[in-house]
Amino acid sequence: MQENYLAKWLSGELSEQELAEFKKSAEYASYQKLREVSGNLKAPEFDVDQALTQLKEERIGNAPKVIALNPFKKFLRVAAVIAVLLAGSYFYVNTLDESVTTQFAERSEVVLPDNSEIVLNAGSRISYSEKNWNQERNVTLTGEAFFKVAKGKKFTVSTEQGTIAVLGTQFNVENREGFFEVTCFEGLVSVSFNGNETKLPAGTSFVAIDGKVMDSSPPNTTQPTWVNNESSFERIPLGYVLDELERQFNIEVNTENVDKNLLFTGTFSNTDLKMALKSISTPSRMNYKIEGDNVLFYAEKTP
Amino acid sequence: MNNVCEEQVFSSIFKANSKTVFNYIYYKFGNEEKAHDAVQEAFVKLWENCAKVMPEKAKSYLYTVANNLYLNVIKAEKVRLKYAKPTLDISNESPEFLLEEKEYQQKLDNALSSLPENQRTTFLLNRIDGKKYAEIAEMEGVSVKAIEKRMHLALKALREKIDGI
Repeated sequence: MQENYLAKWLSGELSEQELAEFKKSAEYASYQKLREVSGNLKAPEFDVDQALTQLKEERIGNAPKVIALNPFKKFLRVAAVIAVLLAGSYFYVNTLDESVTTQFAERSEVVLPDNSEIVLNAGSRISYSEKNWNQERNVTLTGEAFFKVAKGKKFTVSTEQGTIAVLGTQFNVENREGFFEVTCFEGLVSVSFNGNETKLPAGTSFVAIDGKVMDSSPPNTTQPTWVNNESSFERIPLGYVLDELERQFNIEVNTENVDKNLLFTGTFSNTDLKMALKSISTPSRMNYKIEGDNVLFYAEKTP
Repeated sequence: MNNVCEEQVFSSIFKANSKTVFNYIYYKFGNEEKAHDAVQEAFVKLWENCAKVMPEKAKSYLYTVANNLYLNVIKAEKVRLKYAKPTLDISNESPEFLLEEKEYQQKLDNALSSLPENQRTTFLLNRIDGKKYAEIAEMEGVSVKAIEKRMHLALKALREKIDGI
């Protein structure tokens, strides 16, 4: 007799021979009876329609709403994140200061919200807060710039070396490494340098080199010369003159056997490199060589 | 029209399977109330996951969910099966015969209650619901051969209980 023959018998899968053999067995009658009676068994009543109605009313009745809300919730979540990001970046951008930067051999003019004008010389940077401009007229400067300030509240120029406060005037500020110069062309400028305040009336300058205040001669122009494409110097150490030359022409200047502390008085052109080199080398008794973007100054051989 | 989320599809799945899910749980645990709950729970689960369950997989999904839901809950409870008594077609039988029949059914009920859950479920799904072994195998997630084994053992155990061996 094959494996699980009782199961096979019940499902009518026994072969005729096996069935005949099974019928002869003593238990057959009992199994036959079991099959008959169990075939009449019934499970408890189950009302399908009622159960379905109950399911829909009690449980699923609310479910579709939940399902329908889900994508909306997701959308809301995304929308909320975007809104937060937008609001955040809006406030962030608003608090950011406006800034203007010039590279070497480049100049830029900036008009401030109150129509004050700033002319940026080469290799300089200014920044100011456009949002707070009405409360506080404050410009941060590195490098050199010429200011034409419209009349109004106090206007301040902050630099690493000193602070300049004015009401309405025209002045030039040069704030280079170790070199600080303020020249007033119109009105009155107040310069605070190392805690000392100096009033500069029109037509005067304030110069500090390496933290030391130097004597300076008054300007004889109404604008800084660089605005007219010339760089003028009045007893300025040669090193700073060469630095300015580098900025105006975007070149690299090297020296050989040259005393950079020698005071230089003169003017060089910001547009013509050969003229400028001559303007510097001749009074300083130097020679120069040009190799691409490199200029080498070397001492003239003394005869 | 092949999405369980569609109400018509869902309703037709319910009509086709709820009775068997009910019986399936009832055979396992012998508790009518729990079987009703199982049907509700299983179909709510199916509805909640209607987007993930393919209509052709809905049936086995239901049995798995129903089984899982009540497997641990009722495991420890004592099984008490009470089947609606088979109504005899022939009522002009002798009182002796009727008494005998009644006694036999009593014995059968007791024997069924003492069967292991998986054998009882297999036996009753076949005898009451007329499920083929292959169908039961699919519901239980086992092989047809395993179902045949359960059936064989169930028949053997029932006869021994009833005949008092």
